[in-house]
Amino acid sequence: MEGALKLWIVIVVVGALNYLSRLSFIAFFASREMPPLLARALKFVPAAMLTALVVPMVLVPPTAEALAGTSPRVPAAIVATVVAFFTHSTLKTLGAGMAALWLAQALAR
Amino acid sequence: MRHLLASRDFREGFVEMLPACVGLVPFGLVCGVGAAAAGADWFAALGMALIIFSGAAQVLAVQLYAANAPVAIIVLTCFVLGLRFLMYSAAMAPYLKPLPRSWQRGLAFLLTDQAFAAAIRRFNAKDDPRGGGLHFLGCGVALWGMWIVTNMAGFFAGSSIPASWSLDFAVPLCFIALVAPLFRTTPSIAAAVVAGVAVVALEALPMKLALVAAGLIGIVAGTLVDMMGERWKAR
Repeated sequence: MEGALKLWIVIVVVGALNYLSRLSFIAFFASREMPPLLARALKFVPAAMLTALVVPMVLVPPTAEALAGTSPRVPAAIVATVVAFFTHSTLKTLGAGMAALWLAQALAR
Repeated sequence: MRHLLASRDFREGFVEMLPACVGLVPFGLVCGVGAAAAGADWFAALGMALIIFSGAAQVLAVQLYAANAPVAIIVLTCFVLGLRFLMYSAAMAPYLKPLPRSWQRGLAFLLTDQAFAAAIRRFNAKDDPRGGGLHFLGCGVALWGMWIVTNMAGFFAGSSIPASWSLDFAVPLCFIALVAPLFRTTPSIAAAVVAGVAVVALEALPMKLALVAAGLIGIVAGTLVDMMGERWKAR
């Protein structure tokens, strides 16, 4: 298939599927009652999903090396977590996390 | 439009997202650079940011496209990665229920990781569906606008940023800023820890299934701990 056309098919189909996923349950529960157990479980979506998103970004590249403590990203992420927990501030988290990463990289060299 | 700008809730949401937008810059740049490296023209790079509006899906799509993967594989993999939006949608549903259908359909488009976390926090803090909806709209518009600008900047100029700056690390930092303040109750901590361990343990699963599977396992863990805690108190 021709390159540009193939890419546009991907863009439109992925975009449409993303939108339908985002709309799915908002539309479904617009006129229905939500079961109480489901409503209770959904409280934990932010904590569980965001952590599942973050961990692989911190532990790459390679997981084994990161777990052994040689990746500068791990201590930087811990610093950022502590700062975010106490300050609730995105900017302070970004500043502390990037500074910790650069420091850890400089020390590792 | 003027009506919107006059709304305090809309402006609050917009302004609240500006720090997150700073963190979005490297993510957008990474996407733009990826699109350029995969051989996309500027119009396709713009289309991706405008229509897909999901950094993780865009990075994955251009990587697979550059590796010459078939359309079906690219679409399926991005769909699995986007399954988390089903959970965001379900979690958002009760808050958007009082709003008109047109609002629900419009806000759904803006339901990204960042906007979701910020909007949920606001809906929980104040019992005001209309104000919360406007706040969500403000968040989403700020993120979408910044997303398009940074994607294009990355496409045209991103390759001139030195890799040693590790700017891509700002992406997990933004998510940490959203999630760490939630670690205040035992069930939330359990949900996060279990999801974090599960995503590493399931790393070998194909097509990014680990992300959505780990998220579900974490949600179940959080719910179980929540129910156990309640029973404990009742005794």
